[in-house]
Amino acid sequence: MVDSETNLGNASKSVQVKLVLLGEAAVGKSSVVLRFVTNEFQSNKEPTIGAAFLTQKCRLEDRVLRYEIWDTAGQERFHSLAPMYYRNAQAAVVIYDVTKASSLDKAKSWVKELQRQAHPNIVIALVGNKIDLVRPLSLSLGFTPHPDSEEEADDATATPDGTTSGDAGPVCLRQVPREEAQAYAAETGLLFSETSAKTGEGIVEVFTAIAKKIPIEHIIASSRGSVGRFDVAGSRTVSQEGGVNLDEAAVKGTSSCSC
Amino acid sequence: MEINAVLSMGVQGEEDSYAGKLHLIPPYLAFTSLDRKSVRFTLPLSTIRRVERLNARAGIYALSLSTWHGMKIIVQLTSLRPTADAFCSLLREALKVELQKGQMKAVKGFVRTCYSEVLVSTSSTAPDNEREDGSLINDAKEGSPPVEMEYHGGLGLRFKFPGDAKKLREASKVKLWTTYLRAHGRNLTLLRYPQCTRLVQVGLPNRLRGEMWETLSGSLYLRFANPGLYERLLEENKGRTSTSTEDIEKDLHRSLPEYAGYQSEDGINALRRVLQAYSFRNPEVGYCQAMNILAAAILIYMSEEQAFWLLEVLCDRLLPGYYSPSMHGTLLDQRVFESLVHRCLPIIHDHFQVVDVQLSVASLPWFLSLFINSMPMVFAFRIVDCFFCMGPKVLFQVGLAVLKINGEKLLQIQDDGGFLNLMREYFASLGESAHPNSSDPRARAITRFQELLLVSFREFAVITDDTILSERRKFRNEIIHSIESFSKRSAIRNLKSLGRFTKDQAGLIYDALYKAMCVVPPPPAVAPPASLFTTNDGNYDRPETRVGLRTFHVFLSEILTWARDDKVVINGFQQRVDREIAEHELIDRLFYFWDTSCNGALSLQDLVSGLEGVMFNDLMDNIEWFFNLHDKNKDGHLTKDEVLTLSESFLFIFRYEIGDAYLGAVSRFMTNAFEYGDALLPRQENGEPGESSPPHIASNQPYLNLATFRMVVLADEILEAFFETDLSASFRLEPVPDLELPTNNGFLGDLWSNIATADNKKFFNKLTDEVGKTIGRHQVIYRPSIGRFTKLEEPKARESLLSPAMKSGSAGADTDTLGTSKSSSSTLAVDAEAAQSSKAASAFSPLPMVKAANAALMERTPFAIDDAGDDSDSDLESDIPEDDDQVMDEVDAFLEAHDSGLTDADKELAKDLIDAEPVK
Repeated sequence: MVDSETNLGNASKSVQVKLVLLGEAAVGKSSVVLRFVTNEFQSNKEPTIGAAFLTQKCRLEDRVLRYEIWDTAGQERFHSLAPMYYRNAQAAVVIYDVTKASSLDKAKSWVKELQRQAHPNIVIALVGNKIDLVRPLSLSLGFTPHPDSEEEADDATATPDGTTSGDAGPVCLRQVPREEAQAYAAETGLLFSETSAKTGEGIVEVFTAIAKKIPIEHIIASSRGSVGRFDVAGSRTVSQEGGVNLDEAAVKGTSSCSC
Repeated sequence: MEINAVLSMGVQGEEDSYAGKLHLIPPYLAFTSLDRKSVRFTLPLSTIRRVERLNARAGIYALSLSTWHGMKIIVQLTSLRPTADAFCSLLREALKVELQKGQMKAVKGFVRTCYSEVLVSTSSTAPDNEREDGSLINDAKEGSPPVEMEYHGGLGLRFKFPGDAKKLREASKVKLWTTYLRAHGRNLTLLRYPQCTRLVQVGLPNRLRGEMWETLSGSLYLRFANPGLYERLLEENKGRTSTSTEDIEKDLHRSLPEYAGYQSEDGINALRRVLQAYSFRNPEVGYCQAMNILAAAILIYMSEEQAFWLLEVLCDRLLPGYYSPSMHGTLLDQRVFESLVHRCLPIIHDHFQVVDVQLSVASLPWFLSLFINSMPMVFAFRIVDCFFCMGPKVLFQVGLAVLKINGEKLLQIQDDGGFLNLMREYFASLGESAHPNSSDPRARAITRFQELLLVSFREFAVITDDTILSERRKFRNEIIHSIESFSKRSAIRNLKSLGRFTKDQAGLIYDALYKAMCVVPPPPAVAPPASLFTTNDGNYDRPETRVGLRTFHVFLSEILTWARDDKVVINGFQQRVDREIAEHELIDRLFYFWDTSCNGALSLQDLVSGLEGVMFNDLMDNIEWFFNLHDKNKDGHLTKDEVLTLSESFLFIFRYEIGDAYLGAVSRFMTNAFEYGDALLPRQENGEPGESSPPHIASNQPYLNLATFRMVVLADEILEAFFETDLSASFRLEPVPDLELPTNNGFLGDLWSNIATADNKKFFNKLTDEVGKTIGRHQVIYRPSIGRFTKLEEPKARESLLSPAMKSGSAGADTDTLGTSKSSSSTLAVDAEAAQSSKAASAFSPLPMVKAANAALMERTPFAIDDAGDDSDSDLESDIPEDDDQVMDEVDAFLEAHDSGLTDADKELAKDLIDAEPVK
């Protein structure tokens, strides 16, 4: 799927993009990455000490991006180490847990910090994870502009295979309404989506949407020198598709914010 | 007490003699050789069963000590005779105390928990007969053979130990250790000779590993001294939950999940109990990710209780501050590591600078999880063995060696990602041959891991404990400063509203609050300690850091001139300002006024908003603000009582103003207030009695509204001026002078040393005051809070306060505030000195046990290198009986000479002593 070696020929050089994952402990940062990188879900994941580092390629129509993903530790006391990981990052995925209201507050504070401390033109995506736990409520896929998109409620997505004891109890209520988070994202200029690392729903879309928003030319232009220093000049409109295996509900253009 | 001594084993030819120092730190007796690495021991006094003075050549003063394990040690006291006598009598007293405490009896039960006893007794053909040589007390008669020893062990006993026992040469190692332990004591009575360190370096055998870890790290002594504490801790805190216990739950299933023991409930439960017990024991640290990895790792080799104590030694002593909420120890050691790389591997360091690669991205987990997370477990545990034996410097040595070995490849990397990938590949290849293309089979047999240890301990032997200590000292302040500014930045960033304050001003408010919290820490119930300092620990669903009334007093006294009493004291030697925190109903009133959410505590946001509500006000705003402050029920009217309270507030604010102007103003205010108030009362016909008690209105009924109040205030020039500018100006955001940071531990401020400093300061001040009084040069002036009239009427005002004699006496004393602030800085210098001495005093007062354990940790022997045959024999020699000595031969090849610190003649003498007869 999101593989590198099925080459399209024209994808001359892959552009390296540093991406950092932030969010409260146990919201599923590592699982999201793992799903994206290896398309696996492990319910018992070793906690991240400092940060884990993974890479994955992501294909757009005209270009291949090589994500360098820094998956940071979520526990609060590791917070002061985070700048080490988000410095020079061109993209950030800030994750919260839709079943835990406080995790959105933490996510907001990360966003604030990134906007003030990190690279000025960093592309930030806000992601509500673990929607498999609140399945019946809505089945809107990531990045669809209308949260009302109708349920094709395929129960298969709520894979019954897991539900291991380690996960929060079997019954979980949604604590963060999609609308609330989405409104916040729109107002702050973030990409937004809801995902499930367990089922894989919406994961790839997150990274594709980021890929589309990142001003690649500037990275290429500047990466010959030192890393970083790129400006969002104009809104890029690379049409999706590419090598990325988007689900049937492909990303329809406008992500919630295009600055 | 310590004394010079020469140590020899009580058996001829067993070991060389070593010169060193004997320390008596009840309840321990400890020895370190002069080079501080070759030989040492820490014996609980309760394991000493007999002490005899030996009959030897004239002028020689020697003691023979028999330990519980029947081992005999001879110490020759080489200090002067009176010192030796004093030492012996102290020793005798200390032993008596131990006997009375019944500690001697505890030994027997305790050693049963140690695997080494099983090892020595089962495999010994001639069981310890030496033991029955009459012990100091009588319970050492265990007639029956060692019955079912209930020794402690880890999950490995049930779920297998990692690695292949054969490959690890378990059998040979066990045999070597058995021999060593039989001759040199074990668990509580272990003597550490160079051989001990060498054996550790080739890797501990699995079954013995746990016990040796606790013995070498000293946690064994804690377990011995606190029997049953672990269970009690769990029992007392049963069912308790906290942030830490929640965090622990999240990580239980992701701690070495690939190990079979942690796929079972038993393993998980053990892990949970150990981590929880530690978090109860040390709530300041609580739980930090990475501790789960450590605990899971050590639980493979030791029981829960053993693991609990080892974790304590690890977190509190070996890696101080690593897992604290600020993780300052981690940050500090990363900085130290970087500096060592700069010094030892400058080319790599420079390359990293050029390509902007941060060392910590890779090295942080090495230090935080003792390489357990980075390397295959079998190798990581070998490093952990050395770490417990030789101390934290091992981490630095191994870290440097990793970089050095990969030096050439490191110079090719261009970014953090490349660096991490390279490290990952390297660690995954540790089991491979280091020289696969060599023609010499012996060289080919050397694994990369062995090469790593070789480089670590040979080439980086220069990194000593002292190096680490001095480097840590060097960067300590830098780290503290960066943590503080980081948490300050994020605290300010997380404010919902700055109001009209700039970020810098908010920073000053933060500083004042920070200082106040150091003086009066907020109650832990409201906020877990240290949370403000570490960027809002206690996640976001928990209350933010809030301060109580007492902290608020301190805070406000920093910012608000009338919330403090500034006493200018002049005593002929110094002029200083004694600042005291003012107590008044008005201050409390402000607290509750700002506590808009009625929590009984204020957050930084409350303070910022509160201050914002007054500091930017103009005349009318201020009048209204002051009115509202006193209008308790917010109905827009003050009651009569409130008018009186308000007047008292005026008097409080103006209490140090010079001259009578303010007093007059307040008095006029009261008169006017009641006059207008009464006059404006709606149709009060029978208002006979005088102005002070108007007719029908009860003292708690609405009486004076804002408009009237305003009118009354504006009728008075002085009050008008007060509200126009002075009120707002009495709030001053000024940089808080740097807090004196304690040098011992925790960056937060060792409260103890702060207090000691303050005490010393007081003492010094009192002294000079006394002297000043006797020579008649002592005077105290309260500095006015508003100070509007100081300049205008200063001479007159001063006269009212100063005695004529004083006036003529010291022209210098008559200075204005500028002068006093100058003098306060000179006092500071004195304080610093006083602080120094108090710290020196404090450094020597910890509990004896801590000290002894420290002594046990202090000395580390340098490394001799691993046996080259570590797992080379798996293919060829697997069915040849292993030659035990061979394991050590290769080690010896790398050995450094150990300096016994003795001349030949001394050695002879020491040997003679072994056969000497006791004196009657």
